[in-house]
Amino acid sequence: MATPAPETPPGNMATFNILHGFPEAIVRGMRSSFLLDADYHHLTQCETLDDVKLNLTESDYSESVSDMATLTPTSLQAAAVNKLVTEFKYLRTQTIEPLSTFLDFITYEYMIENVMLLLKGTLSGRDINELIAQCHPLGMFKESTMRSIPTFESNAKGYADLYQTVLVDTPVGPYFSMFLQESHDRVGGEVRNVLEEVEIEIIKSSLIKYWLEDFGNFVSSLGGESATMMGELLAVRADTNAINITLNSFGTPLNEPAMRQSDRKRLYPALGYLYPAGTSMLIDVADEDGLGRCLELFPQYSSIWNVHLVGGGDKSIDDAFYERDVQMLELAFEGQMHFGVFYAYIKLKEQEIRNLVWITECILQQQKEEINKFVPVFSQHAPWRSKKR
Amino acid sequence: MSDSLMCSTEFCNAGWSEVLTHMSPYGYANFGIAFGLGLSVVGAAWGIWLTGSSLVGAAIKAPRIRSKNLISVIFCEATAIYGVIMAIILANKVKKPDLQGDGLPENWDWHGYYYAGYGMFSAGLSVGLTNIASGVSVGIAGSSCAIGDAQDPSLFVKVLIVEIFASALGIFGIIVGIIQSNACNFPIQALEN
Repeated sequence: MATPAPETPPGNMATFNILHGFPEAIVRGMRSSFLLDADYHHLTQCETLDDVKLNLTESDYSESVSDMATLTPTSLQAAAVNKLVTEFKYLRTQTIEPLSTFLDFITYEYMIENVMLLLKGTLSGRDINELIAQCHPLGMFKESTMRSIPTFESNAKGYADLYQTVLVDTPVGPYFSMFLQESHDRVGGEVRNVLEEVEIEIIKSSLIKYWLEDFGNFVSSLGGESATMMGELLAVRADTNAINITLNSFGTPLNEPAMRQSDRKRLYPALGYLYPAGTSMLIDVADEDGLGRCLELFPQYSSIWNVHLVGGGDKSIDDAFYERDVQMLELAFEGQMHFGVFYAYIKLKEQEIRNLVWITECILQQQKEEINKFVPVFSQHAPWRSKKR
Repeated sequence: MSDSLMCSTEFCNAGWSEVLTHMSPYGYANFGIAFGLGLSVVGAAWGIWLTGSSLVGAAIKAPRIRSKNLISVIFCEATAIYGVIMAIILANKVKKPDLQGDGLPENWDWHGYYYAGYGMFSAGLSVGLTNIASGVSVGIAGSSCAIGDAQDPSLFVKVLIVEIFASALGIFGIIVGIIQSNACNFPIQALEN
């Protein structure tokens, strides 16, 4: 599965611009397209969705919303995602190795999501066209490939057939083959039908785990500033995954003592600050108290865990994770001449799209008191910024 | 062992000191000119592609930065001009001797002869090596200047001051180079004794 190390390293301050100066400058120019505090203020003051559309015509989204007759949260999300995809594809065509492999790695995550969406969708018997329309544009395969995915059975043999015939040519093939190898070793060649629903989640977590590890290896082979920056970002990503897997497994069959050792352990990625000591502790965690005790040992996660403990409707642990992510991704823009800006731009744009959808949903459902629960990007009022004054 | 110290032909050198002194001062001087010009141009070119690639990319979303940030390119170009100035000064000092017959006469100004050669070589190296450093640093600062200016116009003048300090390094080189090469004069005729 190992993606080979790049032949030409990204280079240091004096040589980075030879191959990657132009795309990096494009991404940094696109930083100015993020919505400002004033824009968010105007949007939250809107009464109807037409006001929202009017306000968005003054921002960078003007072209995206101009050909919409009426704005709805789903249409706004689709338009914003298409804008991001257009920018990403433009960037991708301007890049050269190893930056192009780096950008491809970012798309593999969406490919995994699309494959799982198609597999899960057929379990609940949804129409294939509707599913394809819901797939993320950055992770699309060929039309024929996507249409053939739901035709396979959702058992071990079906997955093996799916891999052999369809997925082996796609970039996510190696991850699927490793998953099949691991499940074959685990089960010993038998077919298990017990956990069909949970099985899909396990497949997705496993694929994401393999993708993270592959990405982490590639990034550390880049060396230099890129390895430092992206290594940090991927490490916290892996830790977020580990904590979420543990948290979501409470109350499901995955949390039984027998399953924890064999199944849940295999879902923790082999990178991050929690690896290896933290994840070996997480294997034995049975409930939230145990998880809290485990996270106390890691200062950067104990504050996030406290947010979850305080609970209530104000902030969930996901919000705390988003805030922490936005803070780190903004820091990726601070240094020049590394690859972290590309990853940070995509993730921050996604956060902005989430914010826009949240605001429009609140306006649509007339829930004005909830409207300020989003995490603005590059905000002057961010908690980590105001401390200076 | 002793054979290697004995010269077997009439043109061999008896040791390293003879290797260095047997190299013609005209060779030293002209290599100095070549290094001075060549290394300055390498530094300038390095700086120009460092800053130019960022300038072109950042100008896509912020076209207003195009004209102002050409100053960074001009600063890089200045280091190449220092190299050209030094090369022209040195090249005018290299003079063909006005002699008849073979070889140099006994009352040749040997001191001035060798001084000129070494002086011009080191002047060329002074200018060339400082201009590489100056060109690279102006280039990196210029790249950050273009990207920062695209986001916040007030940053332009501040980063420009960094670039000015960086290009001062090249000026140091050419000042010292001119001082070094001032006293260098190749003798044209034998000394009048």
